[in-house]
Amino acid sequence: MGARKSRVIVMIELHQVSKVFHNEETGQHVQALRDVSLQIEENEFVCLLGPSGCGKSTLLNLVAGFDRPSGGRVLFDREPVRTPGPDRGVVFQEPTLFPWLTCEQNVAFGLRNLNIEPQRRRGLVRRFLTLVGLDSFARARPHQLSGGMKQRVALARVLALNPRALLMDEPFGALDAQTRDRLQDELLRIWETHRKTVLFVTHNVEEAVYLADRVAVLAPAPDSIIADLPISIPRPRDRFSPEIREATMALMAVLANLPCCVLPSQSEEVGQTVRLQEGG
Amino acid sequence: MSTSPGKADFSPPPAGAAPVLRAARQRPSLSGALIAVASVAIPLAIWWGVAVLVTHMRGVPFPTPLDTYHRLVALLQGKLLVDFTIYRHLGDSLRRFTIGFSLAVGLGIVSGLLFGWSRLLERLSMPTVTVLQLIPGLAWVPVAILLFGIGPRTTIFMIAVTAFVPIVINTTAGVKSVDEMYLRAARMMGADERTLFLRVLLPGSLPHLLSGLRVGFASGWRVLVAGEMVVGTGTGLGYSIMQSRWTLDYCGAFVCIAIICAIGLIVERFILLPLERRTVERWGLARAG
Repeated sequence: MGARKSRVIVMIELHQVSKVFHNEETGQHVQALRDVSLQIEENEFVCLLGPSGCGKSTLLNLVAGFDRPSGGRVLFDREPVRTPGPDRGVVFQEPTLFPWLTCEQNVAFGLRNLNIEPQRRRGLVRRFLTLVGLDSFARARPHQLSGGMKQRVALARVLALNPRALLMDEPFGALDAQTRDRLQDELLRIWETHRKTVLFVTHNVEEAVYLADRVAVLAPAPDSIIADLPISIPRPRDRFSPEIREATMALMAVLANLPCCVLPSQSEEVGQTVRLQEGG
Repeated sequence: MSTSPGKADFSPPPAGAAPVLRAARQRPSLSGALIAVASVAIPLAIWWGVAVLVTHMRGVPFPTPLDTYHRLVALLQGKLLVDFTIYRHLGDSLRRFTIGFSLAVGLGIVSGLLFGWSRLLERLSMPTVTVLQLIPGLAWVPVAILLFGIGPRTTIFMIAVTAFVPIVINTTAGVKSVDEMYLRAARMMGADERTLFLRVLLPGSLPHLLSGLRVGFASGWRVLVAGEMVVGTGTGLGYSIMQSRWTLDYCGAFVCIAIICAIGLIVERFILLPLERRTVERWGLARAG
């Protein structure tokens, strides 16, 4: 056990991270995150769950390098995060494909930046478009695709870069339920074969339970991670199974009790994480 | 659960949808054709009426469309207008315009990209651009003469400075309209500054940029004529219009005006506007206005 533990690499580490936004027009300060600590191991699939506006996306943006923390440290592979980069592939809630490029050019965009020679690039583009089932739409423009298809391309373009981690910011939030289920299954299928560290932000409890190895619940500042729940249900999972339902209920209870979960004295402490052990 | 990867959520290939729309919009109809003919015929008729009236009432030979046409044919056959053939005038005018407009396009796009990119540069330079916008093309005459003396370079300068303003304003607006998320996505995929400019900001601002080119073209084209008229360049369509009054060759002047209109119309209708439409349509962006 001890030997196994020592081999575990912490891929993403947030240490007492705070983020304050300044509104230049109103002069107001908004505390988006306060003293948030979180560790994600290599190849772990962690869902960050929380109500809207609790700072989930802010946290993901810090890991992605789009923003700098106001306090604390954000480490990726033991190095402080300074800028965005292809080692952390981000899938946004909106597909943000470039409308002036075709699907294959969108996937090739990052590969070009990595100076991968054209022939190999073309092979990778084809491979990853095929992986998401869109090889026949290589020449299509993003506006010709449905929302689900666009998100597949958005996934393909970051997977093609072979990132060490996938940062997904409510990637399926804008999709209809059926498409969302299908894309969740595909994400898991891809994750099984191309193991990656995944930080997946969502406000959908069932989605979090179905996908994750571990669910961290983030409450709005001044609270932080109020629950950290491993989901040890074996894969492949059945989204209608009693285990999934049970874990979903447990998490919903945490979310429903949000205001009374954290004592005022606790919010000042460092290790305020409430560890819930899964019964079952 | 059966996962046939990505079959069910494929909407019917929308590739077919666009041509259908286009066909519907462009279906030729009799009334449409009549309107198109009338839109040309009515101004011609008015011109003709004015020509006849003025000739009779004021006793001066105001050229009718037919007179102008005859003069055009003669000039095309090589008759001289203000010491040179119409081809020489046309060629010189086009050359001056091309140089001036190219300068405006190059400088306008580069400055627009920079101003849109950097809030500081924008704040430093936009007051100047706004002032430039308020200066009518002809007001540059003394400035241009002081800078370049009398000659073609003066005309070129006037074209460049006039066309530059709408191009830089629109490019700046275009860059600022590029969604921040595209920049984040590009950086996340390892784009350096050069890639951001050339492969994100430039194409992202292209719809605005193209309408800037259209407006810049129109302003520059107008000032070409004015510049040649005033600056005295020796050749050119604008110069010929001004000079033909000494020889009482009003038909020749009208031919030059007609050629200027025709070229402007052709470039605008058959090059710039379709270019703008195609870009916007291909990318599936909503057209503003």
